[in-house]
Amino acid sequence: MVRAARDATLARKLIMLRVDVSKQLGDFKLEAAFESEGRVTGLFGSSGAGKTSLINMIAGLLRPDRGSIAVDGEVLDDTASRLHVPAHRRRIGYVFQDFRLFPHLDVGENLDYGRRMNGLTEDAARRKRVTDLLDIGGLLDRRPGKLSGGERQRIALGRALLAQPRLLLLDEPLGSLDEERKEEILPYLVRLRDEAGIPMVYVSHDAAELRQLATQIVMLKRGHVTVFGGVKVLSGAQ
Amino acid sequence: MFDISPTEWTAILLSLRVASIATLVATPLGIAVAWLLARRDFWGKAAVDAAIHLPLVLPPVVTGYLLLLTLGRRGLVGEWLADHLGIVFAFRWTGAALACGVMSFPLLVRPIRLSIEAVDRRLEQAASTLGAAPWRVFTSVTLPLALPGVLAGMVLGFAKAIGEFGATITFVSNIPGETQTISSAIYALISTPNGDAAALRLVIVSVLIAMSALIASEWFARRATRRLHGN
Amino acid sequence: MHRIAGLVLSFILLCGSAYAPALAQDKNLTVFAAASMKNALDDVDAAYTAKTGVKIAASYAASSTLAKQIEQGAPADAFISADTDWMDYATSKKTINEPTRVNLLGNSIVLIAPKDSRIDKVEIGPGFDLAKLAGDGKIATGDVKAVPVGKYAKAALEKLGAWQAAEPKFAMAESVRAALTLVARGEAVLGIVYSTDAKVEPGVKIVGTFPADSHPAIIYPVAATTTAKTETADYLAFMRTSAAKTIFEKYGFKFLVSPTT
Repeated sequence: MVRAARDATLARKLIMLRVDVSKQLGDFKLEAAFESEGRVTGLFGSSGAGKTSLINMIAGLLRPDRGSIAVDGEVLDDTASRLHVPAHRRRIGYVFQDFRLFPHLDVGENLDYGRRMNGLTEDAARRKRVTDLLDIGGLLDRRPGKLSGGERQRIALGRALLAQPRLLLLDEPLGSLDEERKEEILPYLVRLRDEAGIPMVYVSHDAAELRQLATQIVMLKRGHVTVFGGVKVLSGAQ
Repeated sequence: MFDISPTEWTAILLSLRVASIATLVATPLGIAVAWLLARRDFWGKAAVDAAIHLPLVLPPVVTGYLLLLTLGRRGLVGEWLADHLGIVFAFRWTGAALACGVMSFPLLVRPIRLSIEAVDRRLEQAASTLGAAPWRVFTSVTLPLALPGVLAGMVLGFAKAIGEFGATITFVSNIPGETQTISSAIYALISTPNGDAAALRLVIVSVLIAMSALIASEWFARRATRRLHGN
Repeated sequence: MHRIAGLVLSFILLCGSAYAPALAQDKNLTVFAAASMKNALDDVDAAYTAKTGVKIAASYAASSTLAKQIEQGAPADAFISADTDWMDYATSKKTINEPTRVNLLGNSIVLIAPKDSRIDKVEIGPGFDLAKLAGDGKIATGDVKAVPVGKYAKAALEKLGAWQAAEPKFAMAESVRAALTLVARGEAVLGIVYSTDAKVEPGVKIVGTFPADSHPAIIYPVAATTTAKTETADYLAFMRTSAAKTIFEKYGFKFLVSPTT
């Protein structure tokens, strides 16, 4: 009974991501079409497979040559009707591999950035939830330049969350960290998946990471979707 | 040696006023142009870039003469401005400010452009994903990070404006109290019998202002790099 | 950094309010006068200000330069030229209030040399060989094509038959005072300027005087411009008083009109 209720709550948070695009990237063509409804859609493939370009298109930072992208029924890109919703209006958060914290702002101001840009009201409770979730409450007055990679990535996560996106994209968020830091951050990502209630698209070339986090897998090879399915499709992969 | 006569004071204060008005008006325009050159590609971009740098390589007298032809009382645009809007530049301190602004514009734009180019575009991308519209990305990320460069440009432009001579004297001549800046005052004094002492005083003032501006500009430029590294 | 930006901005704003040039409504007059007038006119202007409280801003340059600036719309109330040609030019360009024109002063041109020059006393008459006198050095005067003193100099030398030989040695300056300075600094071995200029420059000595009949009469006309403020009439009237006459004559100018009180 309790479990059913909990599943129902989570089911409300699932978001339909519909992607059908193609784009010429240098010497190969990216062609990807899939629909995903999972809590964490893992985008798996080796480097150069086109994963970053794909999520950049979902974010609106890159435009497809042809095709369409829709999130939760809202069309964000449609080359046929020349529709392109700019990145700042998509309410799609993005956590980058290189953190990209604003160097001229302190941690607190970085966290607050998305809220201000979206004109959202201050919500101290929400902020505390996020800083507790990521254990960054003690870093608020610090400057990004002096923090460790692990701290920076957690702050980047918090910053993206506090902008209240409807979808969160993560591009190899552990890619710039050493093994120890990765072990440190992974539990936070699991907590994020279970408690933040925001659907994610998680890009990685590390099958082990995805096995822990993802609920669905899209495999990308040289710009093409080769497999789509549950986490078990990763069994053959390394 | 160091008592400064009223004529000299007038020239110094007028120079300060002309240079500051020129800098204040030129800066927003300079930021806009610098941003365009740093972040946008468009047809004719090379021509625009060259045009902006013209005052650096054209003989200043030529620039002054061109200003006279276009904005003089009987100039192409100047006549219309004077007749319809009552705005006169030639032989007025406003014209001196205009001449100084034009001549210092390339020196203003260059450091600003460089500092905008140095701002990581990936940070601007991150700002977009956080909901910042392009204009807000500029004011909340790009401009604050480029600020030391903007200040370096302003200070350099100010120093150049204080020292401007050729275009100024051609466009607005040498009227004490109205258009006689430090440079034109020195020019008049060295042709005046016994004017050498006064000329020397003004030369010292000029050099002091120029040196301070250059040192300040350097300091800002160095702050720019530190700022970009989040210190 | 924002604090510093604020500081820089405040400094620049402060400079901006540092000085407010005279407004048109202020009781100030602007006179454009031939460069040779500088010392004498400064004194006359000071006397006028002492008497009436009206301040005079004087812009000195070659009469040619000034006439063209007035033509371009420069805000002069009065114009004093070192020859009638340039006053005629300004009149032809409709910038001069003709009825106010008065031939006020006269002058003479002299040959000068740096104070320590070997050259001492020279007879200037027909057959005078200026080129030989100058030797390898330069002769400074105003540009013979435009500046009044240069035009007078060339006319005189042509009449005396000395122009052709001397022409290549001329250093053309943009005003008579610039020429005067060239000689005072020893950059030129000789110069042709007004006798009134030689009097105020301690670094030069007069080595010869050009006969008055070797060149057109040197006349300084003065007039109000078409854009002159009403106070200009009073200023011009002051220049005809005996008080002004005393000052002009002190500097060596000839006073050509009958002085009023």
